[in-house]
Amino acid sequence: MNIDAKYHPTPEQLEGFAQGSLAPGMNVVISAHVELCATCRQSISELEEAASEEWLRSTPDTRASSINFSAMIDSIVDHPQIKGDDATSGNVPEIHMLDHSVTLPRALAKVASDGLVWKQLAGGINQATVTLDDQTQCEFLYMKPGSQVPVHKHQGNEVTLVLDGSFEDELGHYKPADFVVRTAKDLHQPASEEGCLCFAVLDSPLTFTKGLARLLNPFIRYRFRRATSAAAH
Amino acid sequence: MEDVVSGAGSMLMGSLAKSKSVKEPASAPRVSNDVSDSDEQLLIAVGNHQDRAAFNALFSRFSNKIYAMGMKLTRNEQLSHDLVQEAMLTVWQKAPLYDLDRGTAQSWIFTLTRNRCFDILRKMKRQPATVSADDIWPQEGDIDSQLVHEEMGTMEVEVSKIESFYGQLPAAQRAVVEQIYIHDRTHEEAAAVLEIPLGTLKSRLRLGVGKLRQMVGTEV
Repeated sequence: MNIDAKYHPTPEQLEGFAQGSLAPGMNVVISAHVELCATCRQSISELEEAASEEWLRSTPDTRASSINFSAMIDSIVDHPQIKGDDATSGNVPEIHMLDHSVTLPRALAKVASDGLVWKQLAGGINQATVTLDDQTQCEFLYMKPGSQVPVHKHQGNEVTLVLDGSFEDELGHYKPADFVVRTAKDLHQPASEEGCLCFAVLDSPLTFTKGLARLLNPFIRYRFRRATSAAAH
Repeated sequence: MEDVVSGAGSMLMGSLAKSKSVKEPASAPRVSNDVSDSDEQLLIAVGNHQDRAAFNALFSRFSNKIYAMGMKLTRNEQLSHDLVQEAMLTVWQKAPLYDLDRGTAQSWIFTLTRNRCFDILRKMKRQPATVSADDIWPQEGDIDSQLVHEEMGTMEVEVSKIESFYGQLPAAQRAVVEQIYIHDRTHEEAAAVLEIPLGTLKSRLRLGVGKLRQMVGTEV
């Protein structure tokens, strides 16, 4: 599937994706865009070549003493190989929104495969949150035709990938495969005349990962959720 | 080329010697392989005939690098050891899916190491198992059929032009393109029909399709 997207991930995001250094939620939304966008697919293979150069160049060639080479090789070559015909492209998953269905990119189809729980928010917005990691907030958003989101600011960065329909804000009109990046500084008011299905990933605010401070996390997340739900993006 | 060679330095020669067991048709002109790095040939030898010596060579070249990537990301010796095991196992298992269209061997090995690492880290951090690395980066092998369909689509649009360009390809490349795109054979079937090694078929296909694309690109 190839769609001419007008808005793409930033060079840093593409690089992080190629290197594997991003949080799973961010990887998923970039993966979905890349599947739809031939230009970014080409960039990714170039970035992967560059990352592999860097990997081989910068890694010290010290032998890992714990590895018994020949034993490991023996155990590996006992396994059968995968032949070309075994590779399956899988079925094409769809998401049903009111009167029509939308074919999802592979990574998002996997995300949605456990079933989505839709919640109705103010302003004609429906939201189905999914948990992919503890660093991002991910959700499918469905904006009904004619819906408008109240003016709001983001905490952290937000990425929105348009899957079906379109939406617009002060800075542009976004169609399927468009990858819209907004930082904490951006203030915007998305609206959708024709209706729109998107997948959005939001950087989480401060999360404690060590010690007693972790006990605070549920409260922080709760406040965060309330804030994003009320703002409804 | 028929003598038995051993030792790390001669592994490539060893694998090439073995691949000669499939006869090249005398009439087909030899297409020079444009691969200068031997990693690709090693990987293709592993994919074509489970070449143990070629796999040993890849293992000694990459295992330390993989281990170092594991230590950098997990800071855990056991997990890094597991990463070497899993990444090199994937190299072995998926080698038949590698071809030169996927870029260099080092990039291919890097991407599948990155993917195994992602899965190991996800388990370590107890993150939800909703999406695996192969869902996020499917290019290791399984998106192949999809890409072929896209190529077919492009070719149908330009079918009249393609036909005239097609005649300009060297005979050996034309034969391969014909098997794959006109007779719709798999790489393995086409290699058997043409009586050439799979690796040769793949590099001819890549060169032939590349040339066709170039010709279409300059015309459009």
